[in-house]
Amino acid sequence: MKPPVDGRLDALRGSSPRLSYNARSLAALENNPRCTLRALLDASGSDKAAIAAHIGYPSPFGQSSFAFARGNAFEAMVKDNGCAELLRVLRETLKLTLPEVAYLDLNEVGGAGDNDARHRRTTEVLLEAARGNGEGTLFDHPLLHLQVGGEGAFLEPDLVAFRIDGRFYIVEIKSFPIIDGQADPAQVRAATTQASAYIIALRALLAHHGMDTGAVSDTIVLVAPKDFTNRPTAAFVDARKQVAALTRQLSRIERVSDLVDLLPEDLTFDLDLDLTLPKKEQRPRRPAEELAAAVARVPATYRPDCLNHCEMAFHCRAHARAEASLDVLGPAVREQLGGIDTATMALGLARGQLTPTGDQSDMAAALRHAARLRDELTEAYGGAA
Amino acid sequence: MSMLSALAHVEAMQNMTAVRLTAFRHHRLSDRPLVIIPLTMAGEAGAPLAVMAGTARRDMTLLVVPQPRNRDQRFAFAADLGRVVMDYIDSYRQDRRGEGERSQYTDVPQIIVPNQGGVNALADLGRMCRFRSTTGPYAVPEVVPEFGMWLTFLVDTAEMAGTSMLLPLTALLTEHWATGQSTLEDQNLASLMAWIAPPRGVSIAQALEEAENPDVCPPAGPSTSPEFDNRDLAPAIKRFDTAHALGDPHTLAAAQTELTELIAGQVKPTWRLMWAAISILRSIPKAPQTARRLDRDCRLFTNHSDYRDAGGLPQRKRDTAISAARRLSQLERALADFEAAMAFDDPFVLADRRSGGEAFTGTVVESQPNRTAITAKNTTVPRPRVTVRTSDPLRLAAGTKLISPTMPKGHKAVIVSVLPDGDTTLVTVEVTAGMGRGRTPKAGSVPDLDKDIDYLPDPGWRPNPTFPDSDHTPWTHSADPDGPDDSAVPENAAAEEWGHDN
Ligand code: SF4
Repeated sequence: MKPPVDGRLDALRGSSPRLSYNARSLAALENNPRCTLRALLDASGSDKAAIAAHIGYPSPFGQSSFAFARGNAFEAMVKDNGCAELLRVLRETLKLTLPEVAYLDLNEVGGAGDNDARHRRTTEVLLEAARGNGEGTLFDHPLLHLQVGGEGAFLEPDLVAFRIDGRFYIVEIKSFPIIDGQADPAQVRAATTQASAYIIALRALLAHHGMDTGAVSDTIVLVAPKDFTNRPTAAFVDARKQVAALTRQLSRIERVSDLVDLLPEDLTFDLDLDLTLPKKEQRPRRPAEELAAAVARVPATYRPDCLNHCEMAFHCRAHARAEASLDVLGPAVREQLGGIDTATMALGLARGQLTPTGDQSDMAAALRHAARLRDELTEAYGGAA
Repeated sequence: MSMLSALAHVEAMQNMTAVRLTAFRHHRLSDRPLVIIPLTMAGEAGAPLAVMAGTARRDMTLLVVPQPRNRDQRFAFAADLGRVVMDYIDSYRQDRRGEGERSQYTDVPQIIVPNQGGVNALADLGRMCRFRSTTGPYAVPEVVPEFGMWLTFLVDTAEMAGTSMLLPLTALLTEHWATGQSTLEDQNLASLMAWIAPPRGVSIAQALEEAENPDVCPPAGPSTSPEFDNRDLAPAIKRFDTAHALGDPHTLAAAQTELTELIAGQVKPTWRLMWAAISILRSIPKAPQTARRLDRDCRLFTNHSDYRDAGGLPQRKRDTAISAARRLSQLERALADFEAAMAFDDPFVLADRRSGGEAFTGTVVESQPNRTAITAKNTTVPRPRVTVRTSDPLRLAAGTKLISPTMPKGHKAVIVSVLPDGDTTLVTVEVTAGMGRGRTPKAGSVPDLDKDIDYLPDPGWRPNPTFPDSDHTPWTHSADPDGPDDSAVPENAAAEEWGHDN
């Protein structure tokens, strides 16, 4: 008999401390829900960046200390004095009539790292509020719980939820600017995805206690710097679409326990860190080739978008390239060549060197036609670049 | 994407080399473009960090904002850059041709940035500058708002297909070449150039690896690499701030020099790469209709220049519903015209359209050169018909109006019928224009038997749609929903607040 899935996930992660879902892994979940490798790495709380680096493909994401400092400073400013600035924009920009406001920081419970205590406290407070009893209006740092692939994952949002007229709203504080009422769509999207996960988690919490999930709004409040200043402004963002999309993906995602069952029993992503050393001095002791071999045993579904979302991207791209997978070229080419997986096969069909299967015959004809056109052009105008 | 382009990318991937997508360069390249590389500070809303600008490989100016969070330094920088750019633009506001209404400048400026991010950075800079007041408590130098309005104009033109006054280099390159990587990776100038022209003695695979290593190829901006920020830039800015606080001119100068050199090290590789790319692009022959597009650029440029000369107000923060609709229709039309012109000029692009069934090439197998028809006005006109056999996967229907790059200018036809015939298709077309004024078509104006001929849809002349005047806009579509604090009036906007004035 295999050990229970929690134990298996811990074994996959090995010695390293467990990481929880963050903004990037949630975005990756939305953008590439079917990737087994990512699902397992995230569900087991493995450190993808450290693993990628150790096997020779350091992750493409660094964070500039400027962006970091600016983000923190902005958030601190918005939350300062019991969220005075936040309340100002809620009242002035969004024209909300807020009664007397009580601010509760849910971070102040339990010792650091005691997620269960924090989660219990969050639950308690939010349920009280939902019943209309509690005194809070603004809840900072609630610790929520999300089911991903049948497994629970803690979400540690840097956010405030506030309750007005009997509904909870998620507030996302971001440091990208809203210039003339418009912000970078990609960044708004990422922020909305993140908030959608919190909406889903908060609704699950209410549902679990037999309460109406409609008490959580699917409109989020985005708070960000106005124009080129440091002062915040706010906007409502309709998250309905992304809440629905994320819900769908969460329900479709294969059950992590099923994925785990398919793995060889001894498979692990363990880095074998020496935990007796201070954190900064911990170096992976596991041979890189061995770890790389373990990673390579798990199927991954690379797409160029991974470069924006997943720490493993350089590794997975190298594999996709080695297999001549059309995934390397991205969705536009993939769509055009539906049903064909590799460059080798596409060119084989285009040159008539491969016999198409039944459902490939239309595609093969189109490819041969395109190849003939290219040949004519090459003949008339010379070859490659 | 068409089947042909998809195949080109697959070939590029398999053979590890860039594959040509066009025979011509469809954008004009100026003899004296102004190359600009904008860098911004991570996390800071539109805060410029530095810019390198110049009209020749060996003639560059590097401007740096030592403390990007400082408002005065930002605008001193904007003024310096503004003078460089305005000198360049003004050099094109000298020679006019034509009289009265039709008078226009004979050439236009051309700014080239590395990528779309560069265009966006200039858009932010334009927005930051154009409403600034040159008087009052937050006064900025005269050139700042003027520069802002010009930048905004240039950024607006860049959205219109076929214009060439502000161009991202990566877009020019990907128009001509397919690489074996994704669109996302093509936005990295160094990766793109690794496919097209890897450094001498370096394989494409190795060049690609280097292109993604910020220590070998610093990013082309506008963001700098986080490693550079943390390792080099942050300490250097700190030293500058300390020197600034101490007020010792000697240390301050040293700190400033250090910063400038650091940043120069980050931009120079991109600078060299951009000029290398420009020189490669210049070697590609330009498409015949580029000249016509230059004429449109001259018109746009002249209009804006005259508007500026008349002291016009800065562009609004947001379009009204009507001007947004008008603009959208202009952009759509420009795109349709540009795509048709490319296919008309360029056999590669035509082939691309053919592979998608939106154009066809074939051989004339039947011809009725003397066919006539009687018009509604009861006159007899020549209406020859020809039938073309093509093996292209045609998807055009009867009634589609056509033009042909293989026929003399003015030739127009319309599809009468499309009949499959074995592996091929028989397309019968009726010639409708380009035959002269006589009762019989002039020589050469009707395709001969056995002739190979290309046809593609006529983007056609469309009337300019009419839009209501602004007064008639329903209130639901009026601009500025943000209320009075978001006024587009420059005087009010000048009071915009600033944080972090340290
Ligand atoms: S980078 Fe690899 S592991 Fe990550 S989502 Fe993409 S395919 Fe999966």
